[in-house]
Amino acid sequence: MCPVLGHLDGRFESADAEAEHRIAVLYQEFGGPLLRHVRKSTGNDLQWAEDVVQETIVRAWRNSARLQWEPGLIWAWLLTVARRIVIDGRRRRSVRPHEVEPPEVDMLAVPDGSERALSAIVVADALRSLSDEHREVIEQTYLRDRTISEAAEILGIPPGTVKSRLYYGIRALRELLRDKGVAG
Amino acid sequence: MHDGVAAYVLGVLDDEEHEAFERHLDVCARCQAELVELAGVPDRLDELKREPSASSGDDPPMSMSR
Repeated sequence: MCPVLGHLDGRFESADAEAEHRIAVLYQEFGGPLLRHVRKSTGNDLQWAEDVVQETIVRAWRNSARLQWEPGLIWAWLLTVARRIVIDGRRRRSVRPHEVEPPEVDMLAVPDGSERALSAIVVADALRSLSDEHREVIEQTYLRDRTISEAAEILGIPPGTVKSRLYYGIRALRELLRDKGVAG
Repeated sequence: MHDGVAAYVLGVLDDEEHEAFERHLDVCARCQAELVELAGVPDRLDELKREPSASSGDDPPMSMSR
């Protein structure tokens, strides 16, 4: 089953033409939704978001075997690739990455009245109801733009333990969010 | 290897491990299914990462931080 990129063999005069076509199809299928999604992560920086989408599409094209996956899986993978590119970009842009600490969950004040604020409260609540071990690894990795290795060093536990706790913590968080109706 | 899927979704693996996990993902139906399940979780966590002052409407002016 290949809903996104059909069997193109033999339809193009050159490999370049085929590659060009595949990239065009990728943009057509995923470019718009991906750009809207990425803009949220780039603080609405459109130029940056467009660069991220372009790099994501090129990586997808380079790994064209994955484009044989079903569309839901392709989309999940593209989101993951794009997020990684945004995080790498943010790390490079950040002059003093560790001097400005993000606020603790308990200190996160969100403005009243907006849907996003309500959702943020639900997410903060869900995070608080995790075990300390699970919450800690989520805070020390993703919420602070740190890798597993960096978090392991800070927490003084092996990277494998961070990875494993993160797995069970994220699964538990996802269950909680789904129960509250805000799972993605 | 399977428990790397959460770290992969969050983008917090080192480059080498990230690439190793992608190779695993190519051949692991279980991790493919979990990737789809977990793909929305980072977006929810992003709601905590935003500065309260920056969480105004949907189309604020372009960021000057670039």
